[in-house]
Amino acid sequence: MTKRLSLIMLGLVLYFGAFAQNKEIKFEEFDLDNGLHVILHKDASTPIVAVTVMYHVGAKNEKPGRSGFAHFFEHLLFEGSENIGRGEFMSMVKSAGGALNANTTQDRTFYYEILPSNQLELGLYMESERMLHAKIDSVGVETQREVVKEEKRQRIDNVPYMSFQEEIFKRAFKEHPYRWTTIGSMEDLDAAEFSEVMEFYKEYYVPGNATLSIAGDIDIEETKELVKKYFSEIPKGDEPFRPNIEEPEMQTEIRDTVYDNIQLPAVFQAYRMPGQGTDDYYALNMLTTLLSGGPSARLQKRLVDKEQKALQVAAFPYALEDYGLFITLGLVNQGVPLPELENAMNEEFEKVKTELVSEREFQKVKNQIESDFVSSNATVAGIAESLANYHVYFGDANLINTEIERFNKVTREDLQRVAQKYLRPENRVVLYYLPKSEQPQSETADSGTEKGK
Amino acid sequence: MKKILLNIIAVCLLAVPAFGQLDRSKAPEPGPAPEINLGDYESFTLKNGLRVFVVQNNKLPRVAFNLLIDRDPVLEGEKAGYVSATGDLLRRGTANRTKDQLDEEIDFLGANLSTSSTGVYASSLSRHKEKLMELMADVIMNPAFPQEELDKIITQTKSGLAASKDNPQAIASNVQAALLYGKDHPYGEIVTEETVENITLDDAENYYRTYFKPNTAYLAIVGDITTKQAKKLVKKHLGKWKKGEVPSHEYPDPQPLEATKVALVDRPASVQSVVHIMHPVELKPGEEDVITGRLMNEILGGGDARLFKNLREEKGYTYGAYSSLSSDELVGKFTANANVRNVVTDSAVAEFMKELKKMREEQVEEEELSSAKNYITGSFARSLESPQTIASFALNIARYDLDKDYYKNYLKNVAAVSAADVQRVARKYIQPDKSYIMVVGNADEVKAGLSQFGEPEMYDIYGNKVKEGALGDITAEQVIDKYISAIGGEEKLSRIESLTQVMQFSVNGMEITNTTIKEGGEKYLNVTKMGERELSKMVYNRGEGKMVANGQITDLPSAQLAGLKSQAYVFPELHFDETGMEFDLRGIEKVNGKDAYKLVMNIPDGDKAINYFDKETGLLVKTEASGMNIEILSYKDREGIKMPEKIKMITPQGTFEGEVVSVEFNSDVPDNAFSLN
Repeated sequence: MTKRLSLIMLGLVLYFGAFAQNKEIKFEEFDLDNGLHVILHKDASTPIVAVTVMYHVGAKNEKPGRSGFAHFFEHLLFEGSENIGRGEFMSMVKSAGGALNANTTQDRTFYYEILPSNQLELGLYMESERMLHAKIDSVGVETQREVVKEEKRQRIDNVPYMSFQEEIFKRAFKEHPYRWTTIGSMEDLDAAEFSEVMEFYKEYYVPGNATLSIAGDIDIEETKELVKKYFSEIPKGDEPFRPNIEEPEMQTEIRDTVYDNIQLPAVFQAYRMPGQGTDDYYALNMLTTLLSGGPSARLQKRLVDKEQKALQVAAFPYALEDYGLFITLGLVNQGVPLPELENAMNEEFEKVKTELVSEREFQKVKNQIESDFVSSNATVAGIAESLANYHVYFGDANLINTEIERFNKVTREDLQRVAQKYLRPENRVVLYYLPKSEQPQSETADSGTEKGK
Repeated sequence: MKKILLNIIAVCLLAVPAFGQLDRSKAPEPGPAPEINLGDYESFTLKNGLRVFVVQNNKLPRVAFNLLIDRDPVLEGEKAGYVSATGDLLRRGTANRTKDQLDEEIDFLGANLSTSSTGVYASSLSRHKEKLMELMADVIMNPAFPQEELDKIITQTKSGLAASKDNPQAIASNVQAALLYGKDHPYGEIVTEETVENITLDDAENYYRTYFKPNTAYLAIVGDITTKQAKKLVKKHLGKWKKGEVPSHEYPDPQPLEATKVALVDRPASVQSVVHIMHPVELKPGEEDVITGRLMNEILGGGDARLFKNLREEKGYTYGAYSSLSSDELVGKFTANANVRNVVTDSAVAEFMKELKKMREEQVEEEELSSAKNYITGSFARSLESPQTIASFALNIARYDLDKDYYKNYLKNVAAVSAADVQRVARKYIQPDKSYIMVVGNADEVKAGLSQFGEPEMYDIYGNKVKEGALGDITAEQVIDKYISAIGGEEKLSRIESLTQVMQFSVNGMEITNTTIKEGGEKYLNVTKMGERELSKMVYNRGEGKMVANGQITDLPSAQLAGLKSQAYVFPELHFDETGMEFDLRGIEKVNGKDAYKLVMNIPDGDKAINYFDKETGLLVKTEASGMNIEILSYKDREGIKMPEKIKMITPQGTFEGEVVSVEFNSDVPDNAFSLN
């Protein structure tokens, strides 16, 4: 089973839920007495159903020194329950003709099964077992600890440039838990103790911290009864701990070099930006599309196609609940010094600050954003997840229909204004990625990490 | 009245405890299986022969056009890669629009439009369908084939090839193709840097003119559009697309194997072996065995199936082990594969063989079979969520001439498969005793273990047999000696103490100068400049070294220092005693079409380098080291010694040709040139 950690780069651009022109997504919501929030969406076009649970807990809820714990814990919740034997989660879903998976971000953890519609009850049974009395023993903890470390080696340490999240976030954040990554460090993963596992479960895996979102070929009334049948008996639990940590503004540019197992040098810039859902966030999101959304976008056209300074360029919003980062990156072409590429990218940012975007180009960006949104509601699993996201982050699941209005409020002047406000040198982290062969020896000796082994 | 009320209360009372007594010890039973309805499609044919399928689906206000050119596979020969390059070129300019204009117009719609050698795909919001179809038709009917764009494609393809040379998966896929189908079959051809260089605009235009004809094409239109709208749109924009005769091609079937063969590709750096057990099969799309074969394969090598459970869950050899059985109009294939640690390579092959044999010899359990049926049924239902699935069903029925109800009856046919059917199909399509056991890995560590399955035959990364037998009595020392005499002889060479060599090459139109200075095994300098600007510099001086790049000075890592210790000699081949370098003759491989001896050079405490010496002339023709290949294309006489003249560097960032413009022997080099400060 591959339980993916959400390591989204370009995917983040399309991350937002969706709206559909004139095609409203209808849904019903209610709360159980124990605090579980339930969202139901009926779509009978295919006889399948997505049963999903989103827990409002992620890497930012971890204690210092326990980075990676929330994701590690996600793996443990596939181990079984009082009534589901170890390793049976996967085979039960598969022989029912379904698919399942889970993922964890800094802000939330998401579990889902996509099943034939006549197996709705099986999905509810499994998710309620997971919430009511997951069974985790020390054998499972030790096995999954190794699996998660293997996952880190395979998906991050051995993937060129993938350390960028760790390297950028630890420099861009000094106080807030966003300073560590969701996958965590090997050291912290090793340090996690069995007793902490059950503490985490009791603290965060309570109905009041969960959203059960179901979409597909269902009968709404019947589903309500089934939800009550399986979830009502789960005890309410206490209000979970939520960190409320303010990150002070950056005062000076942070510039550094990272040596990685790569062939091509690259430059990364990360500008601090406000959390998702804020007005400026929408403008910054559109700005990344202007810069790198498609072959005609400014960075692509100039640096990859015309001047061939870069093999690849990208700009994307790393959107999170409390704060975010506006990330840009470029991989140089052979023979081009990195500063030359960085300067050319900076020139493009300056241009946005000094020249108002033309009506036509602005309309192009709006069209691209609209198109992406419409496409993101193509599956019932996607709809279930979007509904849960909007509820968990903004307390308004109906944003699945109305969020586009927030983008539509953004003006050309806003793009210029947010470029001036956020794309400032003193508000950024700049990293030069260079091949390991260029690493000074003293540094090689110091960094005794497992990276690249 | 009262009675009725009592009844209601009684029902309520009964209902409540029913909740409290929820039996969680067993998973709930499924309800009655839902009916799986395949969506409908309509079709029509234009006068020019273009067959169009329309799948209307108004769930989202989107529309997608998918044009498929249905032609026989094409044998590309010494220009392998030109067909795919043609596909790329279609998107890079038309008679009416430059690439810039195309990019802007497509992005303005918030649309996508991509091209390949066998089709064009475009999608957008449905309200832009008219404009999108106009752009798509322009790309299909009026491609401009700009030379500069072909040049870019060739450069990019070569960069990609260079980067993939070190990628074991890419090597495995090349060698698999060559072994299964042979190099004179379109499925067995391999694209190399040499074949890509042979591609011209004429090739692209010829391909386009020959195969892009409406009468052998299908267009699938999916989404928020009616058949009437679709018909109007297609007639207007593609009605004038001219039909024409399209050639058909036939190819001989690959010969089935008589016995199992072990094919080994040496990749000395590997810590993991890529293992494929494979053979061609005769299985065409739509044949009765396809569905039974899918079930059989699901049980053997699907996710969480027999191979996975054995090799990963029980033995821990791998992260995943799978198999596949694929049908094809020309020739299909069966493969079972995994990436496994070096030391368990032979054990993993043994487990594979055991599972393949078991599949043939024993009937599967009913429970295993019904679980696989459920999984396939569920996957089928889930796939129907995308309207594209219906379109691909329609295309398959037309292309492969399937029964029109093939997909309507699909699940019924899945349900009807018995354990005996599975075994019959396993016996027919899994041939462990007549298959290739292909391994890409570290030959030193895995070859001996593999010989229990048959004498391993060595292949190079392009699927050419390495001529081990042809080595005769020659030893590695003799290859080195032959090289030394070929470039001038030991006596002459030993008089050269120092060397200053200047090379020029061009990168993206910029002139780069590279100067190398070597002195007596003690000092080494390498400077790369663009004009007057220094890009990078490497200095080595009696065991210490520094590197300057991107304005930063760093110490050289130890592996690189070890290499420079030997490179500081003008002719390192005369100084193996001092440097402790070891070398090993590995066989004969082709370099640019000529036989060459392959020598692996082991630098103490350093990296490995692989040198190729021409069998005829004895000259060094190619070096592979640290992810970069350097080919020496020609030599020039310098004071009686043959020195490299034309050089080709193949790096992950591209291929660059350079020329040595000056060579000076024993000239005075100021000592401060090697200063480490």
